[in-house]
Amino acid sequence: MDSDRWERIQALFHDAVDLPPSEQRSFLEKACGGDESLMVDVAAMLAEEARGDSFLDRGMAQVANQLLDPDVPAAPAFGELGPYRIVGVLGEGGMGVVYLAEREDLGIRVAIKLMRDAWLSPARRERFTSEQRMLAQLNHPSIARLYDADTLANGTPFFVMEFVEGVPLTEYCNRHQCSIERRLQLFRAVCEAVQYAHSHAVIHRDLKPSNILVKEDGSIRLLDFGIAKQVESLDLATDETMTGLRLMTLAYAAPEQIRGSRVGIQSDVYSLGMILYELMAGGPPFDLSSLSTSQAEAVLLEQEPAKPSTKARQSSADGESSSPALGKAAWADLDVLCLTAMHKDMARRYRSVEALIRDIDHYLQGAPLEARLDSARYRIRKFVTRNQRAVAVTVATVAIAVGLVIFFTVRLAKARNDALAEAARTQRIQRFTLDLFKGGDEAAGPSEELRVVTLLDRGVQEAQLLSGEPGAQAELFETLGGIYQKLGKYDRAASLLLSALGERKKLGADNRSVAETLVLLSLLRADQAKYDDAEQFARQGLEMSQRHLPPNHPQVAKATFALGKVLEDRGRYDQAIQVLDQAAKLQSAPRALPADLAATLSELANTNFYAGHYDVSETLNQRVLGMQRQIYGERHPLVADTLINLGAIQFQLGHYPESERFNRQALDIVQSWYGKDHPETADTMTILGQSLTYQQRFEEAAALLKQSRAILEHTYGPVHPRVAYALNELGNVAIRQGKLDDAEAYFRQTMDIYRSVYGDTHYQVGIAQSNLGGIYVERKDYVRAEQFFRDALKTYSSTLAGDHSSVAISRIRLGTALLGQRRFAEAQQESRAGYETLTKKASPTVKWLQTARKDLVAEYDALHQPEEAAKFRDMAAADSKNAEFAGKK
Amino acid sequence: MEFQSIRVPSPEAAGPVGDKGNKRQALDELFSLTYEELRRLASCVRRGDPSCTMNPTALVNEAWIKLANSPCFAHTSPLHFKRIAARAMRQVLVEAARRRHADKRGGAEGVTIEFNDAIEPTASWGHDVLALDRALEGLARIQPRQALMVESRFFGGFDIPETAALLEVSEATVLRDWRAAKAWLAHELRRAGS
Repeated sequence: MDSDRWERIQALFHDAVDLPPSEQRSFLEKACGGDESLMVDVAAMLAEEARGDSFLDRGMAQVANQLLDPDVPAAPAFGELGPYRIVGVLGEGGMGVVYLAEREDLGIRVAIKLMRDAWLSPARRERFTSEQRMLAQLNHPSIARLYDADTLANGTPFFVMEFVEGVPLTEYCNRHQCSIERRLQLFRAVCEAVQYAHSHAVIHRDLKPSNILVKEDGSIRLLDFGIAKQVESLDLATDETMTGLRLMTLAYAAPEQIRGSRVGIQSDVYSLGMILYELMAGGPPFDLSSLSTSQAEAVLLEQEPAKPSTKARQSSADGESSSPALGKAAWADLDVLCLTAMHKDMARRYRSVEALIRDIDHYLQGAPLEARLDSARYRIRKFVTRNQRAVAVTVATVAIAVGLVIFFTVRLAKARNDALAEAARTQRIQRFTLDLFKGGDEAAGPSEELRVVTLLDRGVQEAQLLSGEPGAQAELFETLGGIYQKLGKYDRAASLLLSALGERKKLGADNRSVAETLVLLSLLRADQAKYDDAEQFARQGLEMSQRHLPPNHPQVAKATFALGKVLEDRGRYDQAIQVLDQAAKLQSAPRALPADLAATLSELANTNFYAGHYDVSETLNQRVLGMQRQIYGERHPLVADTLINLGAIQFQLGHYPESERFNRQALDIVQSWYGKDHPETADTMTILGQSLTYQQRFEEAAALLKQSRAILEHTYGPVHPRVAYALNELGNVAIRQGKLDDAEAYFRQTMDIYRSVYGDTHYQVGIAQSNLGGIYVERKDYVRAEQFFRDALKTYSSTLAGDHSSVAISRIRLGTALLGQRRFAEAQQESRAGYETLTKKASPTVKWLQTARKDLVAEYDALHQPEEAAKFRDMAAADSKNAEFAGKK
Repeated sequence: MEFQSIRVPSPEAAGPVGDKGNKRQALDELFSLTYEELRRLASCVRRGDPSCTMNPTALVNEAWIKLANSPCFAHTSPLHFKRIAARAMRQVLVEAARRRHADKRGGAEGVTIEFNDAIEPTASWGHDVLALDRALEGLARIQPRQALMVESRFFGGFDIPETAALLEVSEATVLRDWRAAKAWLAHELRRAGS
C-alpha cells in the first residue's frame, strides 16, 4: 500500500462511517467505482469500527499484565544456587523475586534475590549488579548484610542476603509500649545506619517503618534498596491495597522527591523525621488513607503538620495511641526536633543525619537543641517579610524620620538574611558532596562512581547557576573539582579548576585566592603526570601566597607543601626534601595544626624512602607515628598507614621479619576499624603477604593472598583492578614456589582483567605481559619471553614516557631474554638503556638493577669489551656482598 | 617481581562519559524503569485489585518524576520525554511477546503460530502486540505521523490534547486520524490472527 491509497481509504472511511449502516454499502459501491479491494478494505474498517472493542481500545495495562510473565518464575532447582535450597517466596517486585532459602551445611536462613528477565536489557543487569556491589560496601551491624553473589548457569544474576525476622519499627514500639526514651534510642540506631550509608555515598531514598525491622533481641535492621522494595510487596499481599501501598510509600517521601527535584541526603533526613513523628505522636501526621494519589501529594506538599505534641494528645483522647505521657518542656523540644527533621523546606531541615543525631543526643542529655537557634533566626526573618508592607504604611502616616530608620532596618535585615541563606546554600552543597566521601575516598568512591558522578554533575549545574557571584562559584568549582580528582576524573577536574581560576581572576589577577586555586591546580597536574605544568602552577601559587600573606600563614605552608609534593612526584627527590623541610618548619609554628605537620612529615618520609635514605625515612615515620597516636589515638587507620610505611622500609632493607611485625600491627588496626572483609583489610593482607613471601613462607602468604582476593572479588566482582592486584601477588608467590603453570594462570587472569577494564593499551596490561615474559625466562624459553617483553614495551609506548621505570624494567628483562638467545649486541643495548634510566630513579639495591648489572657483565664479556665488563663486575660483586639487602622494587 | 608501588594504586576511572554516553545511559534507565513499573502494574492487576488505578499515563508520569532532574534530561520537555517513554514501552512489550513465542517454539523466533483465543488469551495478546508492532511499522512507512500518534496513545497513554501538541495538529485532526488508524489496525490484527 502506498500513501495515496491510504489517503483514499481514509477519506472513504470518514465519508462512510457516520452514515447509517444500511446506507454504507451502497455508498461504498458507488464511491469505489469497481475497485474491489479498496471496497473490501474500507468495509473491513467500518466493520471494526462498528464492533468497537478493538485491541487498541482495551488499553495497554491488561496486555502488559498478561505478557510480562504473570507468575512468579519457578524457583531454581536444587544445586543451581550452590549450597542454598529455596524454601519459599518472600516477595516480588519490578526487578526480581526474593526467595527464602536455607543453607543446610550452616543451618542458616537467607534471602536470595534473583533477577527476573535478565535478558531484557544490559542496563538492568548492570543496575542489579551495581546494587549488589553497593550493598557489599555497606558493612554495618544495623544494615541487612550481603553474603554472596553469583549467576545461574543461564546467566541470571542473584545475590544472597541476611534474612531478617523482625517487626516494623512502629509496630514494635506500640506492641511493647516503649517509653519515649527507648523509642529515641531505637530511632537513633536507625539514624546511625543511615548516616553510615551516606558516608558510603548511598542514599536510601525509601525509608519507612516497614523497611526498618526490630529483631527479637531489640536490635534494628535497615532493609535495603532493592530488597526493601521486594519485602514491601509481601506486606501488600497480606493487607494493603496497591493504592494504599503507593500512598504509604508516598507518605514518607520528601517534598522534593514528590516534586521530582533533586534528591539528596536531606531527603533521607525528611523520611527519618516522618518516622520520628510517628514514633513520638503515635501516628503519622496526615491521614492519607482515603485520598487519591494527587490529593495525597497536595497534602504532603502544602499542609503543615500538627505539632507532634498536639497529635499525641488527640490520639490519646481517641484512645488509639500508645505513646507515653511527657512534660510540657520535653514536648516542646520534641516538637522542634521532629518538625526540623521533616521541614518541607530543605534549607531548614537538619543538614545531615549527623546533625539530627546530635540533637537527639542533646535531647537525651537535657541540653539545648541546635535546631532551636536556627528556628529563632527564621522566625524573625519571617516576621519581617510578612509585615514589611504594614510596617511601611504605618511609617508613612506617622513620621518620615522614624520611617526611614525602620525601613533601613528592614532592608538591612533582609540583606543579611539573603546573605545568610546564600552562605547556607554554598555550605550545604559543600557539605553534601563532602559527606558523601567521608570514610575513605578510595573504597567509597570509584566503585560507586556512576552514582557519584551523577550527583556531581548536578552539583556542577547548580554551581553554574551561581554566575554573577564569582567567589561562591569558584569555591564550588574547586570543591567539585577536588572530588573529581579523587575519583580519577582528571579532565573534568581540570576543567572545573580552570573555571575556578577564571572566576577568581575576575576579582583580581593577583591575590591570595588566585594563589590558592593555583596550588590546587598544581596538585591536579601532578596527578595527571603533567609535571612541567604542575611545577609552574605550584611555584606561581607559592610566590603569590608569599607576597600577599604573612610568612607563617598556613596557606603559605600549604603552597610550599604542594611544591614539595610535585617535586617528589616528578622524581626530584633532593629538591623535594628541601622544600618539604621548609613546609615542615612553617607548620611547626605555634599556631599551626599538628595534623598538617604530621601530613607533611609523612610526605617527607616517603620522599626520603624513594630517594633511598631509609634511615632518615624511618626516623621521620617514627616521629609521625608518635604524633598520629597523639592526635588520632592508637588505633586509627592513619596510624596503620604509617606502620605500613615502616614495614616497607624494613622490607626494603631486607629485614622481612621486622617488616612482618609492622604489617601485622597495621592489619590488626585496619581489621578492627573497617571489619574483617573490607577492601582496606584485604589490601593490608596483601602487603603482609608480601613480607611472608620473602621469608619463604609461601603457604602462609598464599593463604593470606587468597583471602584478600576473595574479599576483593566479593566486594568488587571478579573483574576489577583491585582483584587483579591480588592475583598478581599470587602469581609472584607461585613463581617463587616454582609453580610456573599456576603463576602463568594468575598473570594471565591479571592481564585479562586489566584488558577488559582499561583497554589494551593501559600500562597495567604491559606489566602483566612483562610478568608473563618472566615466567618464560624461568622456563628458559627465551624466544617466547622476548615476545612478551616486546608486547609489553609496545603497550607502554602508547601511554608511558620512554624514561618511565616500568619501561626501563621491561627493557632490562628483554635484555635477559636476548642474552639467553646469545644475541649479545641487542641484549647489551636493552640492558644498558634500561639500566641507565632506572639507575636515575631507583635505589641501587633494586633487584632489576642487579639483574641488569649481572647481564651486562656477561654481555660485555661476550662482546669483548673488558673495561665495561669490569665496571659492572665490580658493582655486581658489591651486590652479592649486600645480598641480604636484596630489595624488591 | 615487578611492583608499581607499596600501596595499591587507586583505580582509575573507566574514561570520560560524553554526552552521548549519558544520553544512552539515561534511555537505558528509562527503559528499565518503564519495564519495572509495568511489572509492578502486572502484579497489581494479577491480584485482581479493583482499586488498582495504574495506567500508562501514571507509569510515564512516575518515570518522569524519577528522571526529570537527571542532567541528561535537562533539556527534555515532559512531552518529549513521554514520547520516548512510549517508545520504550512498545519495545518492552514487543520483546516480552517475542520472548514468549520463542519459549513456546523452543527458541525459534519470528515464526507464525496458531493461537486459539479461548484457550490461550495470553498468547493471543502477545500475538496482537507483535502484529500491532508490524502493522505500525507498515503505517510508519506511508504515514509516519499517524504511526507516531498510535504509538503515543496506545503505549504512552497520551490524551488527545497532548497528542495534538506532540504532532502540532488540531485536536479534531487527532480524533479523526485516530479513528481511522484504529479501525485499520484492528483490521490488520484480525487479518494477522486468522
